[in-house]
This record gives sequence, structure tokens and C-alpha cells, in this order.
Amino acid sequence: MSAPTTVCPRCAHPAVENVFTSPVPGAWDVLQCRQCLYMWRTSEPARRTRRDAYPDRFKMTRADIDNAIEVPAVPPLREPAG
Amino acid sequence: MAFDDLRSFLETLDKEGQLLHVTDEVMPEPDIAAAANAAARMGESAPALYFDRVTGFTDARIAMNVHGSWANHALALGLPKETGTKDQVDAFIRRWADFPVKPERRDDPPWAENTMDGDEADIFQVLPLIRLNDGDGGFYIDKAAVVSKDPDDPGNSDKQNVGIYRIEVKGRRRLALQPVPMHDIAQHLHKAEEAGEDLPVAITIGNDPVISIVASTPMKYDENEYELAGALRGAPAPVTAAPLTGLPVPWGSEVVIEGVIEGRKREIEGPFGEFTGHYSGGRSMTVIRIDRISHRSRPVFEHLYLGMPWTEVDHLIAASTCVPLYQQLKKDFPEVQAVNAMYTHGLVVIVSTKKRYGGFAKAVGMRVLTTPHGLGYAATVIVVDEDVDPFNLPQVMWALSTKMNPAGDLIQIPNLPVLELAPQAAAPGIVDKLVIDATTPVAPDRRGNYGNQVHDLPETAAWLERLQQLAAGR
Repeated sequence: MSAPTTVCPRCAHPAVENVFTSPVPGAWDVLQCRQCLYMWRTSEPARRTRRDAYPDRFKMTRADIDNAIEVPAVPPLREPAG
Repeated sequence: MAFDDLRSFLETLDKEGQLLHVTDEVMPEPDIAAAANAAARMGESAPALYFDRVTGFTDARIAMNVHGSWANHALALGLPKETGTKDQVDAFIRRWADFPVKPERRDDPPWAENTMDGDEADIFQVLPLIRLNDGDGGFYIDKAAVVSKDPDDPGNSDKQNVGIYRIEVKGRRRLALQPVPMHDIAQHLHKAEEAGEDLPVAITIGNDPVISIVASTPMKYDENEYELAGALRGAPAPVTAAPLTGLPVPWGSEVVIEGVIEGRKREIEGPFGEFTGHYSGGRSMTVIRIDRISHRSRPVFEHLYLGMPWTEVDHLIAASTCVPLYQQLKKDFPEVQAVNAMYTHGLVVIVSTKKRYGGFAKAVGMRVLTTPHGLGYAATVIVVDEDVDPFNLPQVMWALSTKMNPAGDLIQIPNLPVLELAPQAAAPGIVDKLVIDATTPVAPDRRGNYGNQVHDLPETAAWLERLQQLAAGR
């Protein structure tokens, strides 16, 4: 089954990659957005797979990605001994 | 009896009428998560669910809600499925007295049958991954026991860790893992990253039911989870060395994934519907590189739905959160009678205690805040008298109704640590905490007009038994 989605439902980025195809041919594909890394299965409900049906409260922007806090924060490197 | 793997436990659940095999073909989404969500609404004896006809898969076996009720939790501990909540917590406390029980090294783990190395490794080929809640950023693995060692003291098995952390699948051999700063793996990662190194991990999926319980028990940093598993099982936990990392992993797992948390790297992760009943936002989180996958033939994927409480996770971490807090409080304050920390992993903690003197209950409440688990949880602590059962919420409400005067019984302590996921925090990770003293004041605290409290009549216990027998004989 080819991917019916042309943009990421979550961030609207156009680059979407096929990660896995159903063992039963034609059932579904697993897709991933190259920008926000959202991953979904094409057989899921429209509210999870289509940009026009995707809830606003779950949408993500480039700025959200750039400003995401680090969990956990990367610590400073240890000073070399001596 | 002790279960050495998930399969033998599923057989027991089936025999006890606690496993529902869904034989209809179902969609991977939203059916499996919705069914597990629904199972959590079936009450105290909700069954585990087993799916093996999933659209698009030729060979999927998915077990959900395995710990998702008090009945299943009791069976996991080898207790009768009718065992009540407080009795299960009491059994857990009694068995902890046998801790530590050294694990048993066992050869030829069944998961060594099949392996994928390096670039061949593809998690999608092994697990029938499914998505849970609508806002989740992807496919999650949220019931795996993750094993790591202290990089500064790798030979010390007490400082190794077995814990359950949320893991997002980011690619065929790429994962994300959330090390909450209050949890042990975060300390391991911190040390590795300070040294500019990767942290080796083994992610074990589909374990015997006691492994899942100890992996979600907030033990002290230098307490070994396998040694608690031995105490809870009444037999040493069978473990074996993972082939690539040498990390000690459960002998009976369905799938063992080895790799590293890549040091000093972060990448967008989430959101994910969390145990708080709220989504965590998208955060920049650690990245795991998978180097090897070992798995049984025809593996069973054990997965966990979590959503608006209560769901399976609340049952999994109910008793296991109460008991270490009870042990730690009891050590300093033998007056402590019982601890109920089963609400949202102990964001609320209810303690019943005798009072040494006026003000003592408040001191016990404040001690909760400085236990290792309390540092990151225990946003609200309610202290009740020794004759109030903290697991009996109507009694707790009675104590709040009559024993608590806001004028002197509320202690609010500003700007204490809390896990970053706690949604009520002023800034993520910092919150005011509240101790509510709902005990009867004792001298020299003479507030209130208590006079004499009414107690159950001395003959009531015997009559309760008599009435129950009469009712049973009708």
C-alpha cells in the first residue's frame, strides 16, 4: 500500500519516510516524519493520520522542536584528573 | 509458586479465568489500546487480554493488562486472586523481610534462539508494535525492564539497576528513553555523560510478572531489584548475562534488546500520555542505538496501556510504591502503622501513625518528603491516626472531616523538587508540597474539642464474622 499522506499530520513537513510495511501485503505502512519524527500507521483513524483531521492541541511546529527542553540536561564534561 | 517467564504466568491467568483471549481479528489501532483502556474499567478483577489476530500481521501475539487488576496482581505474587488490597500490601511487606535473595545464574535462555546484529537489527521485524493514545508521538515500549550499571562502579551489582522507563521507537534500530532525574538510570547516564561515554543498556520485554513489579519499585540506589524479586517470589530470580553487553538480564524474557544510550545526544521525543493522566509535551530526549536483538521464537509482546487513572500502570505500581516508603518511615518512626502511596505513584501519600507527642504526626509527614521516593513525588501527604486505615478512603475522609483544622494542620513548604512530569508544578520540576495533619492532637498540643472518640464495640469483630457466615449460608 503506498502512502496516502503527503505531509506529516502533526507538523505539515513534506518529507515522510516509509519505515515498515505490513507483513500482509497491502494492509498498512508505518510512516515517519523527517522533521518532528512523528510515527504512525496508515490504517489508523483520520484524527491520527491526516493533517486536516489532526487535533490542533497535538500539532507541533519547528519552533516547538527547536525550543524543546532537554530531559535530562546534558551535564558538563568532567575535568581530567590531575 | 514462582513464575520463570511470562508464558507460564499467562497460563495461570488463563486457568484462573483472568485472561481473555480475543479471537476476533482486530485493528492494531485503535482496537488494542481501546480494549486495554476498557479492561481497566472492568473493576477489581479485570482480566489480562491476549490478541493473536491483528490486521496486517501474520504472526502477532500481544498481551495487555497483565497486571491490570488487584486479582492479577495477587496471582503475580502467588496469592489467591480474591486477596484484598491491604492484604497484598502486607504480604509484600512480609516478603521484603527476606530481601536480599541472590539471583540464580541460569544458562541457555530461551531468547538466545534468534538474534539480529548491527545493521540487521530491526525492531519492527520482531515486535508487533502498536500505538496507544491519540496524542502520542509514535510507537512506545512502556513495560520493558531496562538494565544498566553504574559506570563508575560496574562491578557492584547492588548499584546496577532494573527499571521501567518510557521508550519511544524512533527507527528500526533507534529508540528514545526517558530517564527521570529522580530515577536510578538517570544517575548512571549522568556519570557516563560526564565522562563523555555511552551508557550500555539491555531492554528486556515480556518478563515474568515479578520482574515487572520490582522494576517499578522505587528501591534505593544501592538495592538490587533481582534480590527483591527473589524475596517476593520465594525463590532466586533466574538471570543470565546478555551476550553483547554482559548485563544481567532475566533468563525468561521474550525479547532482549542491547545497545547504548548515546552519550551527550538529545533529540525530539513525545508527547506521550503519561501515568499522571496527562501528556508530557515534546521534549529533547536521549537516543538509544540498538546493536543486537535476541528473541524467542514466536515471541509474545507484552505491552501496557496507560491513560486516565486507573489503568494497568496504577495497579502495577500501587503496592510496590507503598512498601519501600513504609519500610523507610518505619525504620525511623516505629509508630508508623501503614502507608498508602498508590495514587499516581505516590504524588499523594497517606500515612497512619501513633503519636509520640504533640506535633509528631507533622514530623512524620515531613519525613515522607525526604525519603528517596518522596523527593520526586509526595506533593501532598496526609497523616491520619493509627486507628484509621489509609487504604480505606471513607475513613481517611472522616479524618479530614473532623481531625483537620486548617489553622494549624496545613504545612506548605515552597519550592521542593518533584518529577518534571507532575503537571501541577509552578515550573516543571519545582512545586510547593503540603503536609496535612489529620490526626487527633495529643499533649502538649491541646487544640480542638475532641472529648472521647467513638470506637467499634468490643463485640463487633465477632459479629462481623457471624454476619458474614450467615450471609454466605443464605
